[in-house]
Formats: sequence, structure tokens, C-alpha cells
Amino acid sequence: MIKKLPAKWDETWDVVIVGSGFAGLAAAAEAAGKGAKVVVLEKMPTYGGNSIINGGVYAAWDSKYHYRQKLNLGDDSPRQHVEDTLKGGDFYNIPELVQIMADGAADALNWMIDEGGARVRETVTRAGGHTAYRTHSAVAGVGREYTEALRKIAEKRGAKTALNSEVTWIWRKDADPKSPVLGVQVKRGRRTLNIKAAKALILASGGFSRDIKMRMAHNPRLVPAFGCTNQPGATGEMIRFAQAIGADTLQMNFIQLYPFAEPETSILDTPAVYPFNGPGYGIVYVNKLGKRFVNELERRDVCAFAQINLGANMKPTWSIFNRAMVLKMGGSYEEVDAGLKKGRFIQADSIREMAGKLGIPADALVKTIEDHNRYIEQGKDPDFNKSITKVMIPLVEGPFYSVAQWPAVHHCMGGVRISPTAQVIDVFGAVIPKLYAAGEVAGGVHGSNRLGSNAIPDAVSFGRVAGTNAARERA
Amino acid sequence: MKKRYFLLFLLPAFLAVFFTLPGDRADGAAQKAGVSCSSCHADLKAVVSKTHPPVTGNNLAACLQCHAPDMGGEAKKNPFSVRIHTGHIPPKGSLDCLTCHTWTPGRSFGLIGVKGSWGAPTGEDMDLLKEIYGTLAKEEFTARLHADKGVACASCHGKALPKPDDTVENARCLTCHGPLEKLAKKTEPKDFPDRNPHKSHLGEIACTVCHKAHGPSKVYCLDCHTKFQMKIPGQAK
Repeated sequence: MIKKLPAKWDETWDVVIVGSGFAGLAAAAEAAGKGAKVVVLEKMPTYGGNSIINGGVYAAWDSKYHYRQKLNLGDDSPRQHVEDTLKGGDFYNIPELVQIMADGAADALNWMIDEGGARVRETVTRAGGHTAYRTHSAVAGVGREYTEALRKIAEKRGAKTALNSEVTWIWRKDADPKSPVLGVQVKRGRRTLNIKAAKALILASGGFSRDIKMRMAHNPRLVPAFGCTNQPGATGEMIRFAQAIGADTLQMNFIQLYPFAEPETSILDTPAVYPFNGPGYGIVYVNKLGKRFVNELERRDVCAFAQINLGANMKPTWSIFNRAMVLKMGGSYEEVDAGLKKGRFIQADSIREMAGKLGIPADALVKTIEDHNRYIEQGKDPDFNKSITKVMIPLVEGPFYSVAQWPAVHHCMGGVRISPTAQVIDVFGAVIPKLYAAGEVAGGVHGSNRLGSNAIPDAVSFGRVAGTNAARERA
Repeated sequence: MKKRYFLLFLLPAFLAVFFTLPGDRADGAAQKAGVSCSSCHADLKAVVSKTHPPVTGNNLAACLQCHAPDMGGEAKKNPFSVRIHTGHIPPKGSLDCLTCHTWTPGRSFGLIGVKGSWGAPTGEDMDLLKEIYGTLAKEEFTARLHADKGVACASCHGKALPKPDDTVENARCLTCHGPLEKLAKKTEPKDFPDRNPHKSHLGEIACTVCHKAHGPSKVYCLDCHTKFQMKIPGQAK
């Protein structure tokens, strides 16, 4: 089949954006703010992609509220954020891209708070792989807090969103480095139409965790038996279309498992965020034998494979925490109550009672927790060498809570190759004119392993860069 | 036996439609002459209800003296347009649109013997309309559930003929089913109030995400929340 460029365009916009998550909406807001006529194409019947169901955790060295400073939680800087991110990604990350995320994070957060009405909880947490308390939690408890804020800004500035609009091809005459992207072919209901992108096309279409064939082609151990935290639309076809018109990709095999998804359905629900937010305040992960199996402050890949490597029939594992930790780790008592009702959280007055409720050996669990309490007191974890901080809380006072957890496919670190200006690079190393990418669809920011709470600052920062630059293109 | 006779009665209409419309679908003999009910229904009294006043004509124009076409957009009990269509088109009947309708592709669409046009459907539009009317006959679909309650096409689609990409906006659904807060209250599960399909964590989503008028409705929540027990009217049987 030879694809012929469309003879006429059904619609023309200055900036066409594929995907309505964090990156797409941030790009839409910035491009529309620069006066561009903007449309966001979303193939699903609802907006927001994975972003609207994401855990709502946001890493930034600072915010207008300065919670880290006010709560005496130590030092931080964009530079430290960059260093953590590079180390967490085993230095496969492209440093220039990491810098843009870390530098943009605080400003992007303040922007969503000030212009979009986003609200964050009065704390910051230290999450796996981060050396500072820099993870902010959304009041909504999910990414909707930010997608709604971004949508509000984008709409206020005149950007339009078209749902049920699935891109089925990217139009580019050829792969000559001077040949610009022209537009996209779109399936909308029963119709196929061609939409011209006069200034630029921005890919903000997310990852491919839900495309089992694609993820296994790059990472064969992610077999179908692994669940997935993603929405069903995360199928990666935009990456394939971009490749088909010459785009380069990188690091497609780096696919992250979220270590703490709901074990049966693999959903990342509100309780599933607690294990992630807890380590900085002393949460303990235990297995069916009542024993710890990993340094809780470890990065996601380590925590995920520490569970998988426990062997057969060891699903699930649990996080154990207490009431005193809840607010500090960005949780809320309402969420805990709702989770208890659903059976997602289990409550007990003693660790021994908790062991009974979970059906795990009581003596072993009591010993594990008592040991860990002593490690916090002594400032040293001889079992897993966790770096103990003074704000960690020993599990002495109840009520105690637990939540079941298991890894599920979560985030694609790889994707199309972009420049620091968010322009897509072709297989020869040249910028593809008028083509941008931002967010999970782009690779290189996170290296081999994304640190938790780096996804939103990545997507919003690069969305803003892409939107701003796209609007500056000549029509 | 009865059924077989009925089919025999239908045969002339069949022939009239399919054999007199070669090539140009718009220029049929039926259109010029106007269709007669008696060519199939020898006894019209047997077709209408017992309490129906005597029918004093032999074509659709006679019906329309009392049953005005439902193009006003208001809800009506047991609307004539729904009954007349479902009774005559597949799967119950087998008549073509042009047995009763006038149509010049891309220019006009109306009723034989009745003045005025309701739109300018193209061939593609017409294929869609046929398909849509076919789904109206499906008892489990939302369109039929509405029709049974007296809500005809125009109540959802407005006065003009629907276009291929048409959808029904939330505001229109909520004129009968709203306000949204009240609807949400009605569907709030007693055990887990936050598992409310009308108060989704996805924000204010379109009714049509789940409620399909002309196809099986489907609870969108279940795509991810695979263990939820949720039902929806108009779902596939």
C-alpha cells in the first residue's frame, strides 16, 4: 500500500496535539496562550489518558508553599533532583533533558496552582530513589488535580479538545531532513478525515504499556501475565507512525513496573499510592513470611523485582504503616476510612493482630517490626542498609494499617528521541521540521528507571516547552 | 399459517420497491404514485387497534391527517413515527425507505404526498439512517427503550436529520434525566458511594461514553475496574 498525501484538508489548525494528558494539555495551554489555534485530539471517549488516573505525586525541589523548608525536612535543589534522577536511571538519561524537567518542575507546579486552581497537600514526602523530601501530593489524590487545572488553563486560552478522534497516520512527504510534518489522518466515528497542522504537530500520546506485543518486542520478560496500571488506550501506535516517517527512538526496552499496584486488577488506586509515599516516614514492606525483602527507599525497579524474585506463590506483599504516618505521607483519614470499607486497607490494634488478619506468621511479623523500630531508633538498618532519617516513625502506636501490593506494568521510559526544544529527532540525527513530542511518548528523560513522582514534572515541563516552541513556528 | 399469508401480502410491496428502483434510488415509481397501504394490508382495520377511528384513506397522507410527523422535538407517548417505522422496516418488515419517503440525494428528503423537506441526506447519510432505523427495532438498545417510553428520534436528535458524526449532548439527556446531582444520587451504591458511574473520577464525561442509543450500551468503568458488579440499561443480552 502506498500512502498518498491528501489532496485536501478537512480541517486546519496551527497546532495539532495528539493526546490529552499532562503533556498534551500543557502544550495546548502554552501554544494557545501564544495565540495559536490549537486542537487536542484524543482517541478515547474521555479526556486525560493515563494522567487523569495517575497517582498525583509530583516531584519538585520547591513550590510557592515551601513545605519542605517549613517542615524542616532538609535541603534540596534542582541540581540534587537532576542527580537523583540520573542515578535512578543508571545514567542512561540524557542529562540536558533531565535538567529541563528539574528546572521546570517548581514553576510548572506553581503555574497549575495559580492559573489552574490545582491544590496540593500540606506535606512533602521522600519517595524511592529520591534523596530529598520533594514529592508533593495532590488534594484529589490522583492526577486529575492537574489535568483539570491544565484543561482549565488550555480552555481559557481557547484550545479545543476533540474526543473520539484517533490518529491513524502522520502526514509527511518524505524523510528528507527538510521535509516538514504536514498533518495527521484521523478516524472520528465513521469518518476518516485529514487535519492540517499549519505550525506544528505535537505528540503527547503516552506510552505503550497496554500493547503487550509491542512491550514484549522490546522487553520479552514483560509477559502477558503481568497486569498493567494503564488506561486501555496506552497502545503506542503514535510511536510507530513517528518511526514510519523517520523518527528515531531510544531505550524502548526500559519499561517500568509499579511495585505496589492492587494485586488482583493491577489498578493503581488511591491505597496503592500509600506504599510509594510511605518510605520516607518509616513504612515497612513485608512478604508472606512476615519478613522484609527490600530497602523500602529503593527505586521502583528494585522494589518490583524484589517481589517478583520472591518466587512462585509469594503474591501479594504488604505495606505496614500506622495512623501517625498518614497525613505526613500525603494521605488522608477519609481515604483510609474509604479504603478500609473496601477491604483495601486492613486495620489492627497490634502487629500480632495484623499478622492474624493477613494470614502470615505472627512471631515473624512482630520480630520484623520490632527490629525495624530499633533500626529507626539507632539510625541504622543492618538488614537492607536503608538510610534512616529523623522523621521516620517506628511502628509502636496503633492503629496499624496494611495494604496489599504487587508489581504491574506502568511506564515506558523509552520513546521517540527529542531535543531539549522538544523537537523530534530523525534516524539521521536531524530535527524533523514541525514535529514535537512531550511526556511519556518521548524517551531519554528517565533512563532505565523513572523515579516515582517524576512523570508529571516531566510531562508538564516538556509539554510547556513543546507548546511554546510549536506556536513560534511559521504557519 | 397466518405468518405465511402475511408474507404473501408483503410480496407485491417487495416487488414494487425492489424492481421499480433500478439504478437511481431517488426516482422510483412508488414515489410518483404514492404508496397504497392496501397493497399489503387488505384489511386496514386488522392492523390498527380496536379503538382506532376508522381509516378513511389508503396511503400515508391519510395517517398524517391525525399523526403529525414527529419533527417538533417533543416527547410523546408511543409515537407514530416509531411504530410506523419499526412495523415496516427490517427485521419486522422489509420495506425500503423510498416506499414512503421522497429523496433527492444531497437535496431533499420528505414524505410522499406531504409538502416540505427535512434535510438533504447523501447516499452515505441514507445508508446510515437505514442502519440506525434497523437498530431501533432491537429491543435491548437504548433507542428502543426510549421509543417505548414515547421518546422518538427528534427528542434526542432535534428537528434535523442526524448526521454520521452526530452525538447527543449531556444537556439534552439531562432535560429528562437531570439534574446530574439528582441522577448521581439515584445511582449511588449504598456500600461504596464513590463507585458511582454518574460521579466518575474521570470528571464530567459524556453520557454517550456508556449509553449507546443504537448499539449495546456498556459500562465504561468495567474496562479497568474488572471486578465491579455494574449493570446498564440497554446492554447486550
